[in-house]
Amino acid sequence: MKSFAPIAIAVAALALLQALTADSPYFTYLALLVGVNVVLAVSLNIVNGLTGQFSIGHAGFMAVGAYTSAFLSLWLHEYHVSALPESVGNQLFFVVSLLAGGGMAALFGFVVGLPSLRLKGDYLAIVTLGFGEIILVVVRNTPALGGALGLSGTPQHTTFFAVWFTVFLVVLFSRRLLASGHGRSLVAIREDEVAAEAMGVDTTGYKVRAFVISSFFAGVAGALFAHFQSIITPGDSFSFVKSMEVVVMVVAGGLGSTTGAVVAAMFLTLLPEGMRAVFQVVGGDNATLSQSIDQLRKPLFGLLLVVLMLTRPQGLFGTHELWDLFKKKRSVAP
Amino acid sequence: MSDALLQASGVTIRFGGLTALTDFNLEVRKGDLQGLIGPNGAGKTTAFNVLTGVYLPTSGEVRVGGARINGQRPHRINRLGLARTFQNIRLFKEMTALDNVRVAIRSTSGWAASMLRSGGFLKEEAQLEARARELLEVMGLSHRADEDAKNLPYGEQRRLEIARALGTSPGVLLLDEPAAGMNTREKADLMVLIRELRARFELGILVIEHDMKLVMGICEKLTVLDHGETIAHGAPAAVRADAKVIEAYLGEAPAHG
Repeated sequence: MKSFAPIAIAVAALALLQALTADSPYFTYLALLVGVNVVLAVSLNIVNGLTGQFSIGHAGFMAVGAYTSAFLSLWLHEYHVSALPESVGNQLFFVVSLLAGGGMAALFGFVVGLPSLRLKGDYLAIVTLGFGEIILVVVRNTPALGGALGLSGTPQHTTFFAVWFTVFLVVLFSRRLLASGHGRSLVAIREDEVAAEAMGVDTTGYKVRAFVISSFFAGVAGALFAHFQSIITPGDSFSFVKSMEVVVMVVAGGLGSTTGAVVAAMFLTLLPEGMRAVFQVVGGDNATLSQSIDQLRKPLFGLLLVVLMLTRPQGLFGTHELWDLFKKKRSVAP
Repeated sequence: MSDALLQASGVTIRFGGLTALTDFNLEVRKGDLQGLIGPNGAGKTTAFNVLTGVYLPTSGEVRVGGARINGQRPHRINRLGLARTFQNIRLFKEMTALDNVRVAIRSTSGWAASMLRSGGFLKEEAQLEARARELLEVMGLSHRADEDAKNLPYGEQRRLEIARALGTSPGVLLLDEPAAGMNTREKADLMVLIRELRARFELGILVIEHDMKLVMGICEKLTVLDHGETIAHGAPAAVRADAKVIEAYLGEAPAHG
């Protein structure tokens, strides 16, 4: 079973990495943040990059996943499977709630996607924008989900392994998708919807499928997020700003490039942290100076994106992939 | 019931007050090579769009492979055995020539098999690629397989469109001005190629063209449209002698003629 080999290798490598970094909580924390953003960016790339539709409500699906899984986990927390040791039972519950979060987000994706994707054009952007806002309003007004105060006490099950294994799965999925008839159909829709339809591609069906899959992974990302934040609130972490952040990652990496999305998500998540570190050094002991320099982070971040779009409007990678480089080298050799 | 692969009977289409096509009748059988001609704005492309499901006829019906297609979506119609090319080239620009053709060839592998790269999936992918390469070779594009479609010269892009349409294994192929923008030499080569395709793939072919000389040379039957009305129908020689056709193309005949 050659096709399972990459999975086995990933499991081993990630488990090793987790063990090696176990005593560095700062690294682990950053790795979780980065990993969740990578999952979001790579999954959004399936819709915005590969299929050429424009969704700007990815944080809404992330919220659906986060709240579904947190709610389920809080409830499952009361129980334990008697036949299993507690830690194993907890992991089992965790996996169940991750899948439930993804599944619920996928269901919402279907409901949102079906009516808007039957049409050509920008309707998806409008609908997903509205969806992202509606979800937050609903959560704020639902006492069972904690209302505006948020849902707290979610068990902190998310590990480095869980996040990065999800990253691995979504990247592997994207890659194998592109090497299949399904992926080619999606790209054909991006390139020319009328021609794709005329060549026998069920364009509506494929757009909805891409959107549902993308929503599923956004839901899983949300679920992972909910299980390492001790509290989730219907605020910044699921807002329109978050959605735009993910869109920026996909565009900066190159629409349609999976590895581009990965690199851009890592870079853009770590950049503020990196800048903070640099500015603290520059500011030295002078606390007020380092603080005021720290304020420059956001404008600099914006400036960097403007420069990137001016110099490389197709994004860092265009539609290319890192692994294409290796392929080309290999084919040159006899 | 006739054994026509493509049949339009009494098709009329109106856009508001404008009747773009009036009582249009056509039958394409296996092995036919027909032409649809007429001056600019005569309704040729409208007729194509009705046949391929882009427009819904106001009245009349279209059948593909015996099945009524009124109101069906274009991809369903394609699967019934009707493929087309576009007047203004519509290739998948950022995809390689090979992938352009592969999109058109139907894959039956499910999502799970594709993601797990099962044995059946890999086998089908290999067959698909072989078939796509074969079609590229037929159209003389083998050397371009790995190039992005947008980088191909114009004439090759037109041929790639035909290769892609053939990928859907159609019974009837509709070519919308396949020779537009080509020079005389390229046009002549294309006509030879179209004849070969018909024999090799046992196709019925319908060509839209406004270059009379070109269609006269290869088509066995012509339908002439003017202002949405069928003004002549039949063998090229008869059509060429038809007074209405001469009038449509050259203006009114002299009174004594």
